[in-house]
Amino acid sequence: MLKLLLAFMALVAPATAFATDSVALSSMVFVEKTISDADGKAKTTLHEPKVVTPGDRLIFIVNYQNRGAAVARNFVVTNPLPNAVAYQGTADAAAEVSIDGGKIWGALAALKVADGANRWRSARPEDVTHVRWTMKQAIPVGAQGKLSFRGIVR
Amino acid sequence: MNKTLKRIAMATSVSVVALGATPAFATGTTAGSTITNTATVNYQVGGVSQTAINASNNITVDRKVDLVVAEVGNATTSVAPGATAQVTTFTVRNTSNAPLDLGLAVTQQTGGTTAHGGTDTFDVTAPSLFVDTNGNGSYDAGTDTAVTFLDEVAADTQRTVFVVANIPITQVNGDVAGVRLTAQAFEAGTAATQGTLITQTAGANTAGVDTVFADAAGVTDTASDGRHSDDDDYTVSAPVLTVTKQSRVISDPINGTTNPKFIPGALVEYCIVVSNAATASSAANSVAISDPLPAQTTYETSYGIFVSGTYTGTPGSGTCNLDGTAGGSFAAGTVSGTLGSVAANTTRTLYFQVRIN
Repeated sequence: MLKLLLAFMALVAPATAFATDSVALSSMVFVEKTISDADGKAKTTLHEPKVVTPGDRLIFIVNYQNRGAAVARNFVVTNPLPNAVAYQGTADAAAEVSIDGGKIWGALAALKVADGANRWRSARPEDVTHVRWTMKQAIPVGAQGKLSFRGIVR
Repeated sequence: MNKTLKRIAMATSVSVVALGATPAFATGTTAGSTITNTATVNYQVGGVSQTAINASNNITVDRKVDLVVAEVGNATTSVAPGATAQVTTFTVRNTSNAPLDLGLAVTQQTGGTTAHGGTDTFDVTAPSLFVDTNGNGSYDAGTDTAVTFLDEVAADTQRTVFVVANIPITQVNGDVAGVRLTAQAFEAGTAATQGTLITQTAGANTAGVDTVFADAAGVTDTASDGRHSDDDDYTVSAPVLTVTKQSRVISDPINGTTNPKFIPGALVEYCIVVSNAATASSAANSVAISDPLPAQTTYETSYGIFVSGTYTGTPGSGTCNLDGTAGGSFAAGTVSGTLGSVAANTTRTLYFQVRIN
């Protein structure tokens, strides 16, 4: 019986791990396609990431929910960028990014990259290695939310 | 962290950033690779840090087939009539995110405007394809190998391909022949063997790596057809020669040099005038002249033969300037001589004297 239960948990655990954690987290990705309709207007649609090739625009969505019995505080969601994805920004002004693997954090505009001897240039979106959201508010029991950022397949 | 400290910390991490900032993904993430995105949440409950929670998803990068054929040099290949092994150069680049075999085909234009603005008027003979085996960018007969496809072209690499052809001897100055190189995507995988033709994955996405054509339209092929093409051309550059022969009597036995007449015993100067037209696009070299003398004349050995003289006026009615250099020969009743280079828009002469029998 115990063996069976463990096997069951192993099946479920990688996907959601809802059962044991008080916070549920899920990550989704969509491909953003822009097509011109009959009137020549550009129309952007989201698709399941079925056919994905370099240059495609992706939207990463992180869903969270406090399923525990207590308020969650100092709630920080960190998402390292996959190597093959170039960061393209987030609509959430509160998000911080890092361009050095998570050592230094800040708004993209505030970060600088060495560009030759003693020279600095402003960090560009493709320099971003990590994106992070720090919730100022505590997450009450049952509360949920959604975070997202855009990337482009290198 | 105060402002100064932050700045120092930033400075110390700089070298790492500079090294790692731009991964080399020129043609993109390799087909079949998996992009895993992982988000992590850290939080506290009741002031106690809880175990971090991760969530991730995977996407598989599909194969984007893209290739570019480009003419090299942006200039026509200037050729002489009858020239053999004349070369036009192309590059064929695999801009896919996977290796490819690239099938090659050379075709000839029939009429129409060619790559460099000419009008196609003839076909070259025996066009064949060679790959730049030694990678020096120019065709080396015997070194560069004949090919029908490019074998195992890695993503984001290119090969140089030569079209090598012969020019019919009958072509004249200004004739143009357009040639077109078309490359097509085939499966890579086995060295020295051309793989099967690649087709786009039809219908719905499959669990494996799908194939999407992303190539641009070439000169004749359409976009997203797994092919690309470009044009180049040969332009015949040849002298445009005209030859005229003129004669004047120098003296006769009765009048001497005053108003001499063409009577037996008269000394006559022959001037053979070779003109290369202003429209010619190349000089004529080693122009050989042979002139069998009429039986009624005798070659004047004491005067000799002069070559590469200049000429004033319109050939036939102008003046043969007697400023050539001694040369040529007389044998078996024929005067022979070779002019040096006759540039376009230039006239050169060969002259000698005979006596009327």
